[in-house]
Formats: sequence, structure tokens, C-alpha cells
Amino acid sequence: MDPRKSIDKPPHHDPILGVSSRWSVSSKDNKEVTFGDLGSKRIRHGSAGADSEMLSMSQKEIKDEDARLIYINDPDRTNERFEFTGNSIKTAKYSVFTFLPRNLFEQFHRVAYIYFLVIAVLNQLPQLAVFGRGASIMPLAFVLLVSAIKDAYEDFRRHRSDRVENNRLALVFEDHQFREKKWKHIRVGEVIKVQSNQTLPCDMVLLATSDPTGVVYVQTTNLDGESNLKTRYAKQETLLKAADMESFNGFIKCEKPNRNIYGFQANMEIDGRRLSLGPSNIILRGCELKNTAWALGVVVYAGGETKAMLNNSGAPSKRSRLETRMNLEIILLSLFLIVLCTIAAATAAVWLRTHRDDLDTILFYRRKDYSERPGGKNYKYYGWGWEIFFTFFMAVIVYQIMIPISLYISMELVRIGQAYFMTNDDQMYDESSDSSFQCRALNINEDLGQIKYLFSDKTGTLTDNKMEFQCACIEGVDYSDREPADSEHPGYSIEVDGIILKPKMRVRVDPVLLQLTKTGKATEEAKRANEFFLSLAACNTIVPIVSNTSDPNVKLVDYQGESPDEQALVYAAAAYGFLLIERTSGHIVINVRGETQRFNVLGLHEFDSDRKRMSVILGCPDMSVKLFVKGADSSMFGVMDESYGGVIHETKIQLHAYSSDGLRTLVVGMRELNDSEFEQWHSSFEAASTALIGRAGLLRKVAGNIETNLRIVGATAIEDKLQRGVPEAIESLRIAGIKVWVLTGDKQETAISIGFSSRLLTRNMRQIVINSNSLDSCRRSLEEANASIASNDESDNVALIIDGTSLIYVLDNDLEDVLFQVACKCSAILCCRVAPFQKAGIVALVKNRTSDMTLAIGDGANDVSMIQMADVGVGISGQEGRQAVMASDFAMGQFRFLVPLLLVHGHWNYQRMGYMILYNFYRNAVFVLILFWYVLFTCYTLTTAITEWSSVLYSVIYTAIPTIIIGILDKDLGRQTLLDHPQLYGVGQRAEGYSTTLFWYTMIDTIWQSAAIFFIPMFAYWGSTIDTSSLGDLWTIAAVVVVNLHLAMDVIRWNWITHAAIWGSIVAACICVIVIDVIPTLPGYWAIFQVGKTWMFWFCLLAIVVTSLLPRFAIKFLVEYYRPSDVRIAREAEKLGTFRESQPVGVEMNLIQDPPRR
Amino acid sequence: SSTAASSTVGGGGSSEISGVKKTSKRPKYSRFTQQELPACKPILTPRWVILTFLVAGVVFIPLGVICLFASQGVVEIVDRYDTDCIPTSSRNNMVAYIQGEGDKICKRTITVTKAMKHPVYVYYQLENFYQNHRRYVKSRNDAQLRSPKEEHDVKTCAPEDNVGGEPIVPCGLVAWSLFNDTYSFSRNSQQLLVNKKGISWKSDRENKFGKNVFPKNFQKGAPIGGGTLNISKPLSEQEDLIVWMRTAALPTFRKLYGKIETDLHAGDTITVLLQNNYNTYSFNGQKKLVLSTTSWLGGRNDFLGIAYLTVGSICLFLAVTFAVLYLVKPRQLGDPSYLSWNRSAGGLQ
Repeated sequence: MDPRKSIDKPPHHDPILGVSSRWSVSSKDNKEVTFGDLGSKRIRHGSAGADSEMLSMSQKEIKDEDARLIYINDPDRTNERFEFTGNSIKTAKYSVFTFLPRNLFEQFHRVAYIYFLVIAVLNQLPQLAVFGRGASIMPLAFVLLVSAIKDAYEDFRRHRSDRVENNRLALVFEDHQFREKKWKHIRVGEVIKVQSNQTLPCDMVLLATSDPTGVVYVQTTNLDGESNLKTRYAKQETLLKAADMESFNGFIKCEKPNRNIYGFQANMEIDGRRLSLGPSNIILRGCELKNTAWALGVVVYAGGETKAMLNNSGAPSKRSRLETRMNLEIILLSLFLIVLCTIAAATAAVWLRTHRDDLDTILFYRRKDYSERPGGKNYKYYGWGWEIFFTFFMAVIVYQIMIPISLYISMELVRIGQAYFMTNDDQMYDESSDSSFQCRALNINEDLGQIKYLFSDKTGTLTDNKMEFQCACIEGVDYSDREPADSEHPGYSIEVDGIILKPKMRVRVDPVLLQLTKTGKATEEAKRANEFFLSLAACNTIVPIVSNTSDPNVKLVDYQGESPDEQALVYAAAAYGFLLIERTSGHIVINVRGETQRFNVLGLHEFDSDRKRMSVILGCPDMSVKLFVKGADSSMFGVMDESYGGVIHETKIQLHAYSSDGLRTLVVGMRELNDSEFEQWHSSFEAASTALIGRAGLLRKVAGNIETNLRIVGATAIEDKLQRGVPEAIESLRIAGIKVWVLTGDKQETAISIGFSSRLLTRNMRQIVINSNSLDSCRRSLEEANASIASNDESDNVALIIDGTSLIYVLDNDLEDVLFQVACKCSAILCCRVAPFQKAGIVALVKNRTSDMTLAIGDGANDVSMIQMADVGVGISGQEGRQAVMASDFAMGQFRFLVPLLLVHGHWNYQRMGYMILYNFYRNAVFVLILFWYVLFTCYTLTTAITEWSSVLYSVIYTAIPTIIIGILDKDLGRQTLLDHPQLYGVGQRAEGYSTTLFWYTMIDTIWQSAAIFFIPMFAYWGSTIDTSSLGDLWTIAAVVVVNLHLAMDVIRWNWITHAAIWGSIVAACICVIVIDVIPTLPGYWAIFQVGKTWMFWFCLLAIVVTSLLPRFAIKFLVEYYRPSDVRIAREAEKLGTFRESQPVGVEMNLIQDPPRR
Repeated sequence: SSTAASSTVGGGGSSEISGVKKTSKRPKYSRFTQQELPACKPILTPRWVILTFLVAGVVFIPLGVICLFASQGVVEIVDRYDTDCIPTSSRNNMVAYIQGEGDKICKRTITVTKAMKHPVYVYYQLENFYQNHRRYVKSRNDAQLRSPKEEHDVKTCAPEDNVGGEPIVPCGLVAWSLFNDTYSFSRNSQQLLVNKKGISWKSDRENKFGKNVFPKNFQKGAPIGGGTLNISKPLSEQEDLIVWMRTAALPTFRKLYGKIETDLHAGDTITVLLQNNYNTYSFNGQKKLVLSTTSWLGGRNDFLGIAYLTVGSICLFLAVTFAVLYLVKPRQLGDPSYLSWNRSAGGLQ
């Protein structure tokens, strides 16, 4: 039979459908797979060509109730039964009318605001009215207003972009022709024509394309950020019919809208024939059509139901460790608050009880109101039970700032400021990808300073993921000499029809091998070499894109594909004269040293992680049918023809050498198929590829059947270069006490080799390797390892290397504990052959067993689960798309930026935030205690000498700005010091910046300071003519000065902003006090001027300031001088320049060590 | 906060628009964005700390001495009369006596122990009187005191807001409880004039208490709390009221009654005729009459002087202690060998 014809022939009616008369076979696990779910992860390994998961998704069948029915080209009928969303999108949250209620509703989701609100509402009860209306509502109203303005502005911008989006035009088939229609009017069921370089308006099932085989190429940059082209297919059945749209009738039954951009399952029925549709048949909103003149599709999801819009959500919100830890202290403060209120209520009760007979005659109480009736009724007195109750709640209102709600708002502001500086850090800007640092999560900045475990992906994270073809092994002979990088050789190019074609990337070639291929098919060796490169050029899913250059006669060939390994191989083949020029689903065109040859692609078995190989069946120009297979060595040697044992052996030796050098290896094999074999394969392939149930499994089986008895062609070695600065970065992080785990899919030799070159492993490390094939042996080796580390007690120098198979036995098992114990004692851990789902498992293993912080860094979709699992997720925005970035909390361009990120910014942020929290506790508690002490002298009623406005403004204006400024700007140590001495990072790991002990010290200091502020003036003015307002003003100003000086004492770097904030706050507070005192209708009129002109006032102020800060100053000095922390010593050394004189010994020694090469 | 990230994925339009501008995303370099602003980095070195304490001590001790001198220079005569001014027969029911009708004149004799230069201030001192009681301080209306237009604004003044529907001016418990004991002094049976002008704050007289606000319905209600007011004088001239309305901060307080504008000599005997009207008996409040001179620092109160001396001595003590410590057990600043990792490494060798 003619293989060329067979591929175009529509497949016959599927036999399986005949058995199953139902539309669908329900599957139990038909669960929605979301963006970040494991099920949708594409496994990238070796020559990963396509998503094996995609296929497996499509076999799951759709239940009727979970389906939507779309009549092709019949939007009226489609939409009459179901209420499908139109295509207009609305990302804006509010309209003019809903803005106020909705925005308020959303804002009150924050606990802090609810607290404000409850207090404000309590205050509105006449019995509890402590503050005036204005003073009680002002802070809340202010915060709400600011947030509302911000939200309104953002929403306005969204409205504008929505309008632009909704009014774009698309060609829709209507009234027998394609007409332009606004995006917002597009309905589900309509047929749309998209032209090259246009953006897709909605999710569509492909019906036909300009390509006769039904292939389209789409760029999904807007969706997942990946810039390479993806292939999508129209079904053969619809391809022909689409020419005549009028008669097109059929329907699609597809799953309900969901967020999984890599999954789609549907069935289509045309003319009574049922077809199964998968993710490769759908093109999604936001993608761009490339390399295809036009495509026709029927709308299945529109507007807000498109996958792009469903994925349109922000970064996951995490809570920082510090904030979680802080909750304990918040609870302590609440208890403290309750105690204060109880004391106030109880003492008030005792007073009322002892004076119960005199209440009517006490001049300052006078219970009875005689103005209404002669006998008098009680005025604002509800019995002493109620009085206790009211006093308690009034106390809550008065002492409300004991719980530093403003701290939450300050923390948010500080984090925004910190994020600004991280984003703008020049040292975290990646020139090659033009990307600066991104802070996607705004609430875990300070977690960066406490990382103890680092989980890193290898490919693309430690390495550049720019694959470079290094060595070839053909027939067991190694060709790995390469011309020097600066050679004059112009690189391969070829002239076709007067146009010079050039591969975009130059590959350095081995001159011997090049010569060999040029000799044509003269020798057996040369024939093998040609076969080798032909298979490299053909056996892949790369799409060549020919682009123009400035010279009209020269065109560049750019290879686009999903796997960088394949790209490297195809470029290599091109350099040796096998230039892939064209690929459609039916054929490929390869220019072999000037001679253009056309090969029919008769079948393609895509890569999957079970087989770990891919294969292609080509109909060659000489009418032979050949099978080319390419895959990982572990999977390839099993399917080789044993008769080539010698070559296999030689190849194995070479492979070992390659992977020891850290190269990624692939093995290529081939076989010529005879007619009967082909025929047999073809029929089973046809059956499998149209099967509705278990299609992926069937295809895998078909592939497995044909991929046998291969003749070994050769092996390739690709170098995945380490990123710049990776070894130094790992060294720094290790010195910083961070345990680095590298998780890679590579095999053990490659992984260990990369481990050495990245300085994760050093020569003086003892390696413990665990390769087990059963639970028992795994347990045994782990326990042995545990024992050996325990006995040797050289914990610093042990590296654990464990492979994915062993991990299968370890994870979800009691062995997890053993592994964790072992891992704790090791300084480096290398996990090789790890499947993506295991990555998250390993992170979880550590995270669940320790309170230490974990950080995961990765660049690919396979790292998403790990990034989301870890406390802090960092995405590398590199070669492999943006999925890791989308799931991450922080994103950056290079692995080495981790060093400034953690050691510098993390350290700073942690120190700043830790101090800020303690300071805010102190600042508010001081004020509350001053108010409390006064209550003991006002007959236990909640009079405040400090005016209500000052109480409200205290935490908003008087003292707020300096702490925010310090939280953003202060640096305990300079950048260079922190980078030079990674050990300083330990401060955060040991949680020295914030702890319950520190909290208690702070609170004791708080009590002393508040007592000094309160009692000095009280005793000084006892029995004098001082009035409430004057004394209140003194207390206010004293508190503000002390609190700000306290901060000033702890500031490490004084720049002009710090000066302005601290001194400015004191001045602002004084101005506010003055402004409040010039209002004649307030009782405190002119008090500040009256009291300010007395010497007593200033003497009290001076005494207060010195007395309150004296203990802190003395103890701070003693501790810093006699119990210096590392930070303190480093700060001194930084200032006095003593670091340069005596270089620390321990650091440099490790840096000098060369990575050993095998 | 989720909005910041949301525009990246979907809504192809917005991301396309931003994609058009192809400018480098390299952050603009400035010393500010790189957090490299010039800054001063003070550290607490022993010298600085010792010097600070030394200075503080040296400044505080003289200040303390000055304060003590000022306080000691004040001559103060205090005479408690609340119980003594009740006839012995009524001592077991003092409240009834004070609420009863009749003249409650009481005669006190005071001996001047030390010469007092004029002006000699006459205060009444109340103890255990909570003029800062919440219920009490809230029961007033400052607007009403200032302008006749606001006289009906009495809702904060309950229970002393109006009488028979008519508003009370000045309303509220504070005004109602106006102190109404009166004193007249004589030395050697010669009247000593008490100047009651200018005993209140000038700012209060001029801006807080209205010149055209006159008392109305004051002390007309059933229980009479304290003093009455001359209804023909505007509030701005009722200085006793103005003084009283400046509520005291602490439960033991003095209020200025007047000034004696002549010197008093040591050994002078002063006879005080006082009207004991004010009821502090129901809450064990004490009443004292105080004659006192004043210093630049205020009245007689040694506390501040002692506080300054104490703090000053502590500072000096700390300065000396730290100096000794520093000499005996110094630590070289910024010596990297003190760093924890260097220390442990050194220990191993």
C-alpha cells in the first residue's frame, strides 16, 4: 500500500463506539484539574515532545450533567437551551452604583477593619461613648477612604481596558458569509475565522485551517508566557466539510468550563459520526495564530468562561512566618488588655459599692437628676452590675490600641516599600532576559530572611536551559572534539533556489565527523553518521520557521519547539548538513547537503514519561519505511537488538563518560519496517488514535509494540550550561546555613557531576548514595546511612544522593522520618530521577517535620507544585515559560540572585519587620499604660487627661511615620558585609530578630517607660493647681518624644529621610497638640501655652525622657558590648574597617577548592 | 492586592497594550533605589556611652540642687479645717450640719513661721475630690459658656441641664458644684485685702467665657451644689467660676482663691474668718486653706529636685561603673574573631 495516501484517508468508523451506544462512559475520577494541579503538569524530560497528560485527559468521558452542548454554526439553537456567557468580558469589579457597598464589603474582610468597626460601633452606644463621634470614626474612615480611592482608580483602568478588549473585531460566519463583529457580541456556537497574527477572541474547537493537514501554530505567550509555538490540529473529518459552512451541521459535547489550560475533553458528532476531541484540538482565548494563514473554529467557551479568564487570578496569598508567630503575642496583648479592663471595672465596682449610700450627695457624682421630677431619677446609672459591664467595655474602647491594629496597616505599607526596593535592585536585574525582580506576593517579604531549606530544580534553574550539542557517539565511536569557539568557520548555510538558508544558531562541529558526513555514503561509517544526523533532524517535534534578514537573499531558519534538547539536536544536525526546512503534520522537508528531500511522516509516537522515548515513522524518498526512535538510555537499551552487543557496550561506556561530565544524553535507534509490519502497525495505530476510551494507553501500547529490535545508531550528549554565578551562589547559601536540596530529573551521574560543578558537592564530602528497588532495601540503606552519620559525627561533610525510585518507597511511608533524620545531618542532598509530583512530596516531607522555613525555586511547569508547597516559592523567568513565575511568590531572572535576595534583602526585611513589630507593640502599650495609670487616680472612671483627638492621632500621626520609614529603609548591615559573610544570615534562621523573650523584655521596658512618663509629672504636680488638659498635654508630648527617641536610639543608619521622619513626627505632634488647644470650645483651650511657659513643664519633660530611656540605654550598651551579636560585631567591623585587615579563614578556604572532574 | 497580578494572564488586550512599549525594564539607578543614601552610622562605643552618662550626671545633679533650692525657698502654710470647723456637737453627722441652714462661720488662726514676700497666694486645697471623675468632667458645655446663642445647648450637661424646662447657664455638674467657702483674713485685727482679680487664665477670660453671657437659672434646682453667681456679672468676670471650671487633673488639688498683696512677716498671726459652706463631708473630702509664696518652678514640692538628684547620681554611678568595666574587661570593637562562626572554628583548632 502506498504510505503516502494512507495518512490523508479519514479513519473508519470507530468500532468501539459501536459497542458503547451511550455518548459517554462516565469515569469516576472526572475531577477538574486546575492550573496548579499536578495532573496538568507537563513532564519535561529529554526529548519531551508533547504532553502525555493531554492525551490521557481526553480519554475520560463526560457525563451528561457535566457537559455543555454546542451546535456548530447554530448559535441560536446552542444558546436557547443553556445560558452560556457571551463573549464580553468584565474584569472590572464595580459599577458606579455597586462601588460603595461592594467596596466596603470587601474592605471589611480584613480582621483589622472589623476590629476598628466594632470599637467604633461600641463607642456609638450612649452608655459607652468615650470618644466623640468624629474622633471614634476618623481613623477607620480615613483608611477606608484611601483604600476606596485606590480601588476606584484601579477599577477605572480595568473598565477602560475591558472596553478596548470588548470592542475588538473578529470575522464571524453569519448570513452565509464572514462578517466583522465586535468581540463582545460573539456567541457560543458561532464559527469564527482567525487570520495569521490575530489574537483569538474566545476558546474555539478547530474545524479547518489553511494547512491541508489541519495543523495550526499558536503562540501562548499571553496565556502561560511560553513564546515557542504550539501545534494544534483540526480533525480530518471537519477539514473537508468546512469548505462549505452552510451545510456544516453537527454538535460538540464538551466539559463545563474549567481552569485547566492543558486539558480539554469533548466529543463531536458530524453527520452521525462521533469524534473525540482533546486539548490539541482547541485554541484558547489570548493566544495568537502564527505561521498559518487562517483557521476556522467554533466557539465553545466565551467571555468569562474561557480558560484564560478563569485563570485570571492573582498570586496565592501566603502568611508570613513572622506574622503567624506574632499572633501569639497579639493574644498575650489581648489578655493584657482584658486584665487592664477587668482591673478598671473591678476597682470601679468596689468604689461604687463602698460609696453606694452617698452617690446622690457626692458632688462629682450626683446620681439623681431632679430636673424631670421632684423625687429625681437616676441619671446614667443603671445599677452597679451594669456599671461594671459598661466600665469594662468603655475600658476596651479607651485601651483599644493595646492591640496594634495599625500595625497591620503599617506592615502592609512597609512591605510595599520593601518590595519597591527589591524590585528596583540593580543587582537583581537580569540583562539577558531584560527582567527585573518581581514581588508577586506582598506579604512574605520577611520570610526571605529565615530560610533554612532550599529546594532547587536543576534544569533552567541552576543551568541556563540553553542546550548545546557537545558530543556524538556513533557506532560506539566518540566524536567530541570541537572547533574552537572563535573559529573563522562561518557556520553551515545552503543555497536553495537562489536563497541562502542559514540556521539561526551556530553549532561548533567536530571536524572529523563533519568530514565523515561529507564523504556521503561511501563507507559504512559514513552511512551510519548520515543515518544518525537524519534521525536527529527527523525524530522530533520541532517546527522550523524561516524568517527574513536584512539581506533579501539570506533567510534564517529558526527552530521552535517545546524541548530545548530537541532544538539543540536539530541545530546540530543542520550544522552537519541536515537542514530541516519544513514540517507539517504529514511530511517534513530536509535539505541534505544541498539536496532537498521530502519524507512523509506516517506516524509519530509522542514522548511520554512511561516509555521515556519518542519515535517517528518516515516514508523515505527511496520508498522504504523507517522507524526512528530517540530516548533516554535506560529505556532505549531494553529495546535494542541484542546482536549489536559490541556497539551497545561501547556506547554505554561513552554514555557513562558523558554523563559523568554533566552532559545530558540520549540514545538514538532505528529500524526499517517491512510492509507487513507497517500494515499491522498502521491499523492498530489508526484504531488507537481514534479510540474514545483509553486512547493514550492504546497509543502507548502501539508504540511499545513497534519500538523493538532497534539497531543502535548512536548517542548524543548535550551540555546544559550552568548559569553564571551558580557555584558561588550555592557556596554562599551553604555558608549561610541553608540546606540546599537539588531535585532533578537527570540521571545519577549527570546529577552528581552537576553537583560538583555547582559546588553543591565538594571533594571532602562523604557521599551516601541510595538506590533501592524495594521498600526493605530502601529502609536498610537509609538506616545504615543514619547510623553511619551518627557514628562518624562529621555532619558537615556528608552528601546524600537518592534517586526517584527510592523516593517512591520513602514518600508516603514511615521511611519519611528516617530520610528526614538523615537529611538533617547532611549538608547537601541531591535527588535525581525525580518525577514532578515527587518534588512537592519532598518539600512537604521537610515542611511537615520542621518549623524551619523552606524555599523552592524552579523555572518550569514541573516545579509549580513544589513552588506552591514551599513556604516561599521563587520562579525563574527563563526559557521554560512563565508557569513557575505565575505560581511563585517572587520571580527573578537568574539563580544567583537568590544570594542578594536572601542574604541581603531577606536579612534586612526580617530585621526590619521583627523590630517594627516589637516597636509597635511597645509604642501602643506605652500609651495605653499611661491612660491606665491615670484611671487609678480618677476614681476608676475612664477619664483621659490626653484629649481624645490626641489618642486617635497618636498611632496615626504622632508616631506612625518613623516606624514605617525605618521598616523600609533601615539597614543593620551594609550589602557588601552581608554578601561577604553569609553566616550573618543565621540571625533570621535562629529567629533572633523577634521572639517571645524579646517581647517580654520589651514589655517590661514598656511598663517602666510608661510609669516614668506618668508618675514623674504626677508626683511633681501633686497637690498643685495643674488642670487636666495641661497635664494631658504634658503626657502627650512626653510620650511622643520618648517613643520617638526610643526609636531613634535603635536606628542604625541615619539618612536625611530618617531624620526628617523622626524629628518631623515630634514637631508634627506638637503642632497637633497646639492646634487642638486653640479651639475655644474644647475644655483644654490654651492649656499648652499656659503650661508651656512654666519651667516645671520643661523640667518634667527632661526628667521623663532621661529616666524612661536610661535603663534601655544602659542595658542595650552592656548587651552589645559584652554579649555582642554577630550583627553587632559585623557592624563595628564595617564601620571601623577591621574586616579587611583580618580576612575570615573559614570562608575563603572552601571557595578555592576546585570541583573535581572524573 | 490581587489586582496587581491579575492583568498578566488573561485579558489579552491589556497585556498586549503594555507589550507594545519595548523599553528596558532595567530599574533606574539612583542611590535611593539602591538603598545607598549617604547615612551616618553611629555605634554605641564605650567612650560615647560613658561620656553620655557623665554629661547626664553632671547636668542633672546641679539641676536637682537648683530645683530643691527653688522648692525649699517657697514658704507654705497649710491649715486643714474641714473637721475643725464643725461644732463638736455635730461631728457625728457632719453632712447634716453642712446641709443645714444657718451661718457656718468658723474662725481659724494661722501663725506665719517664715517671712513671706508678696504676693502671697491664697489657695483652697481639696483632697479626695475627684474633679477628674468621668461623669463630672463630661457634665459641662463649653460652647454655652462662650456665646449666649448656645445657651440651649445643654444636652451634655445632665443632670444639671435645665430647671423647669429653662436652660441653666452655666450648666452641668462642674459649675453646679462651684466651691463656695469664703475666707477673710486679718492680721493684728487689721484687714488683709485679698485680691481676687486675675486669678484665672487670661485666655479663659478673654476667649472661653463670654463677656455677654450671664448666669441664668443657676442653682435654682432642688439640690444646691455649691456657690451662686452674681447674675449681673458676665461669666468672663466670674473668676472663681473660671478657676473652678479648669478641672483639676488629680484628686488632690489646689485652686487659687486670691492674692494677698502685702508681705507677711515671721511670727505674724493671721486670723481667718471663713464660711464653711462646701460639702466635702459626704465623701470624706478634706478642705485645706493654703497660704503660699511661689518660686520660678512653682509651689513647694521637693519631688522633682530629688528625682533629678537620683537620676543624676545613677548616671554618674553608671558612668563610673562602665568606665571601670571598660578598663578591666575591654573588648576590641569590630574584631572579627568574636564572630560566632570564627569563635567555634577557633575552638576546634
